[in-house]
Amino acid sequence: MNSSGKKEDEMKVTDILEKKSTRRSFVKNLSIAAAAGSAGLVTGGCVSLGKSEEMGLKWEEYFKSNYRLMTQEEKDETVARLVRLAKIQNDADIQISNQEPRENVLYGYAFNISRCKGYMDCVEACVKENNLDRKAKTQYIRLFEMDSGQLDPTSGDGKYFHEVPVEGKFYMGVQCFHCENAPCIKACPTKATWREPDGIVVVDYDWCIGCRYCLAACPYWGRRFNWGEPEVPKEEMNTKQHYLGNRMRMKGVMEKCTFCVQRTRQGKLPACAEACPTGSRVFGNLLDPNSEIRYVLKNKKVFRFKEELGTDPKFWYFID
Amino acid sequence: MKKIFLSSGLLFLMLGTVFLSAQTVMASGGSVIDRIHAADKPFDSMGIESAHHLPVKTVLAQESYQGGTFKVLARKDSITRFRCSVCHTDKKVLVSDGALFTHGDIVINHGRGNDRLACIECHDEKNRDFLSDAEGKQIDFDHSYQLCGQCHFRQKRDWLGGAHGKREAYWAGERVVRNCTSCHSPHSPAFETKMPATYSLPLDK
Repeated sequence: MNSSGKKEDEMKVTDILEKKSTRRSFVKNLSIAAAAGSAGLVTGGCVSLGKSEEMGLKWEEYFKSNYRLMTQEEKDETVARLVRLAKIQNDADIQISNQEPRENVLYGYAFNISRCKGYMDCVEACVKENNLDRKAKTQYIRLFEMDSGQLDPTSGDGKYFHEVPVEGKFYMGVQCFHCENAPCIKACPTKATWREPDGIVVVDYDWCIGCRYCLAACPYWGRRFNWGEPEVPKEEMNTKQHYLGNRMRMKGVMEKCTFCVQRTRQGKLPACAEACPTGSRVFGNLLDPNSEIRYVLKNKKVFRFKEELGTDPKFWYFID
Repeated sequence: MKKIFLSSGLLFLMLGTVFLSAQTVMASGGSVIDRIHAADKPFDSMGIESAHHLPVKTVLAQESYQGGTFKVLARKDSITRFRCSVCHTDKKVLVSDGALFTHGDIVINHGRGNDRLACIECHDEKNRDFLSDAEGKQIDFDHSYQLCGQCHFRQKRDWLGGAHGKREAYWAGERVVRNCTSCHSPHSPAFETKMPATYSLPLDK
């Protein structure tokens, strides 16, 4: 009895020891000490106060945890740091939210292929809403002009630019389908991408190492890679941002459609659904039997793209 | 006798494990379809307070959605020369004012082939502030879906359910949808061909 109690005590001690001295926190403490030392050295020098504040914030950011492991306090801290950094570096007044998913909500999307006219208003709204790289012309949504009878977007034209709609063609939009059984999540070696409880597949841009395994794993071409530093003109920047959504990405990280997490968690429609002039895009809560998305699933002819892969996407196509 | 008891007991045990494992699969999420089938309780979307205030003028629809009420965007405010009865009186009009008073700018492209609709097939012949259906019942401009739905009953059914038309701004909160005439010009309801808003780069770039 006694000996087992002793063993337990020992276990606890080793636990605490191990927890207190993970490699990361050890390096962090060491580096903070070093930074403090060097800061002490340069205070008499010519480095401005703003510069040293920026260095300090960047330093803290560098050693932060994966978003899913952060406590609420840590999440608030990193958001505050990012807001301050945006102010120092680009003189931008942004708001970054870390709003949590809501209970009993599972987002779903339906796309009416017999209504879409290929106007591309959705793509434009998405680019503006999500601060997508204007230089590389990153787009989360792709619209394909398809011959009737075809259902595979690879057979369609994804780069059309002429008067639409064209007689005898239909238009099919492809974006991230937010699979319940997402291959991209399994492929990620650093657990930088995951599915939130409300069904949105998100990326922690600060945890992504840019290996692009997810890009290769996604059968729907849903992910985008930042080959260069993303550029958004300051006057076009959407300042209402979310940590897991449209905050500015950096060079070398993956990004993707987040169902406009910064909007949808406030009850708003995603930018694409709001911008669509034809009403082809239906969005709502799959767990609400009174929602419009549930009406579509129950009453219309629906199908999912590449359903046979077992990815279980939450994006349906339907016809009138 | 004992054997029967034993085997029936075993059977129950097996059934029980199958049932339990099915339960745990459900609890751990399961497929989207399973989760949808399991969710039968209405969601309190009015509980999302950020989705409450729409900056547009709406009216309560004279139809029901899923047993409850919903709103449609008001129409009368966006008709530039409403009320129509201001001009449509018995007063005589000078010929020189004719161009202003007749609706010469309106082109009707509604109806199949050469069977274009006439004005009074939708507008009330006597009271110009209203529309009227095939039975002569007056219909308010704000509730034009009652008129359009006479012929386009399939679209109206889809619109009532949410498969046709558009919700305004929010997926949560009170259901506010666009009126038929918010998107379709009643005189020429088909969507026009136009240049797309933007374009995409080739995939293999």
